[in-house]
Amino acid sequence: MSTTALELEAVTAGYGDNPIVREFSAHLEAGTITTLLGGNGAGKSTLLRAIYGTNRLFSGRILFKGKAIERLPPWERLRRGVGFVPQGRCNFPAMSVGENLKMGCYTLPGARHEAAIGRMTDLFPLLREKWRTEAGNMSGGEQQILEMAMVLLLGPSLLLLDEPSLGLSPRMQGDVFAMVQRIAATGVTVLIVEQNVRGALLISDRALVMEQGRRFMEGSAAEVRTDPRIRQAYLGGNIKETAA
Amino acid sequence: MAIDASYLLQLMLNGLALGLLYALIAVGLSLIFGVMEIINFAHGELLMLGAFAMTFALPVMGLLYWPALAAAVVVAMLAGLVIYEILLARLRPDEFERSILITLGLSIILIHTVQYFFTATPRMVDTQYGFAGIEIGSIRLTWTRVIGAAVAIVAFAGLYLTLRFTQFGRSMRAIAQNREAALMVGIRPRTVARNAMILATGLCGLAGAALAPIQLVTPYMGQFLIFKAFALVIIGGLGSIPGAVAAAVALGLLESWIGGFFNAAWQEGAVFVIMIVVLMVRPDGLFKRGGMRVG
Repeated sequence: MSTTALELEAVTAGYGDNPIVREFSAHLEAGTITTLLGGNGAGKSTLLRAIYGTNRLFSGRILFKGKAIERLPPWERLRRGVGFVPQGRCNFPAMSVGENLKMGCYTLPGARHEAAIGRMTDLFPLLREKWRTEAGNMSGGEQQILEMAMVLLLGPSLLLLDEPSLGLSPRMQGDVFAMVQRIAATGVTVLIVEQNVRGALLISDRALVMEQGRRFMEGSAAEVRTDPRIRQAYLGGNIKETAA
Repeated sequence: MAIDASYLLQLMLNGLALGLLYALIAVGLSLIFGVMEIINFAHGELLMLGAFAMTFALPVMGLLYWPALAAAVVVAMLAGLVIYEILLARLRPDEFERSILITLGLSIILIHTVQYFFTATPRMVDTQYGFAGIEIGSIRLTWTRVIGAAVAIVAFAGLYLTLRFTQFGRSMRAIAQNREAALMVGIRPRTVARNAMILATGLCGLAGAALAPIQLVTPYMGQFLIFKAFALVIIGGLGSIPGAVAAAVALGLLESWIGGFFNAAWQEGAVFVIMIVVLMVRPDGLFKRGGMRVG
């Protein structure tokens, strides 16, 4: 029996006095990958930030594992299992990879740091090789892996990813999508905003489409990627059944 | 003109001691700027509070230097905590202009409050060490200068170890380097900002307490030093701790030599001449990349 990991009820969110996402409702089943689609300025990143709690929620409810989290600060949502990797480079560039991973353990008791970091360096051996390298001196793809590892250290059950393949080579993009699939296979629910729509839909179970801050469409990833409106708007009119 | 080597060395040691105390002030400013993205114009007044605390603690403690120094540092840290909780915690990171007006206003209020209660008459501070010191040939250094420099070095070592090896310190570097990434890993910005403020004002109070037996204590003493400290932070590279320390020590040496060989009036202007040259030639400061950064 499937269980709901995240439920959004009429979420209106934005920055300052400007709501960008309006009355957005959706629910995500546990252990699935959902792609959030929409044009520039549709409110995709704003919605992810609202779920993590780093922007202003005007109204609506956010239920995580059945419990309301909309009034909690980001660190409390993180403690409860909501992980968020924002768009762009989101690490500490003047710190080494090792120090970045230690910062990823910030909310864990000291006794659990070594084991948590060990799990991540086993999963991503690159991080062990680059342990002393300053994060800002690594390639975009390497930094993306580091950022995911910093969030995965805490074992989140919901992972919000904002443009994880942005600025990466096609090969690195494929690696990132494969990594997202591996993470989801462990039971983590993933909500992903991605500029490579084709690649994201191919690894997703479901898709949500936003237009001007509102929900425009929802369905299985297969339904959405064969919808003529979506093909026209986001997929250049055709789609090949191979990962990007 | 023949230059006497021992005179040169004497000037150098005096300059080094002074520079290390400047560095305590500049490092605190740099830390606050890095973590809170504000320039604390009241920082000099926290130095003045540290010095005044020393003038009151010493007689109470029978002129014992070390307990009085510790008491002065605690007073400055408490003042930092109160200032943060009442004023600075209400500022958002994008309210830079508001922070300037608030801290500038606070600076003026603190100066005049101290002047009202204790008058503007300069105070001399005596300690258990009096004017005793070390003499090597014709070179002489008072214990208060030697101890002032030593505690500054110990404070920098402690700060380095804290920022480098503890989550408490790393969280300050983290939030200064990438605020969004800090939220991503669950850092609480308000807690880190409060810790940074207390740490920075403690360093500033230490500088004030160490300066108290070396120079006259007045309500305005922080004003003279704070603009120099700003210049040092800019010369060293905003957010660079080694940059601020190196620039401060270099300035202490330079001022001492200028005072020793030229008219003392040139001393005060030297740092601002260097600042303008650095801003023209290297706008990001001398230590923009690498090292221990909090910004």
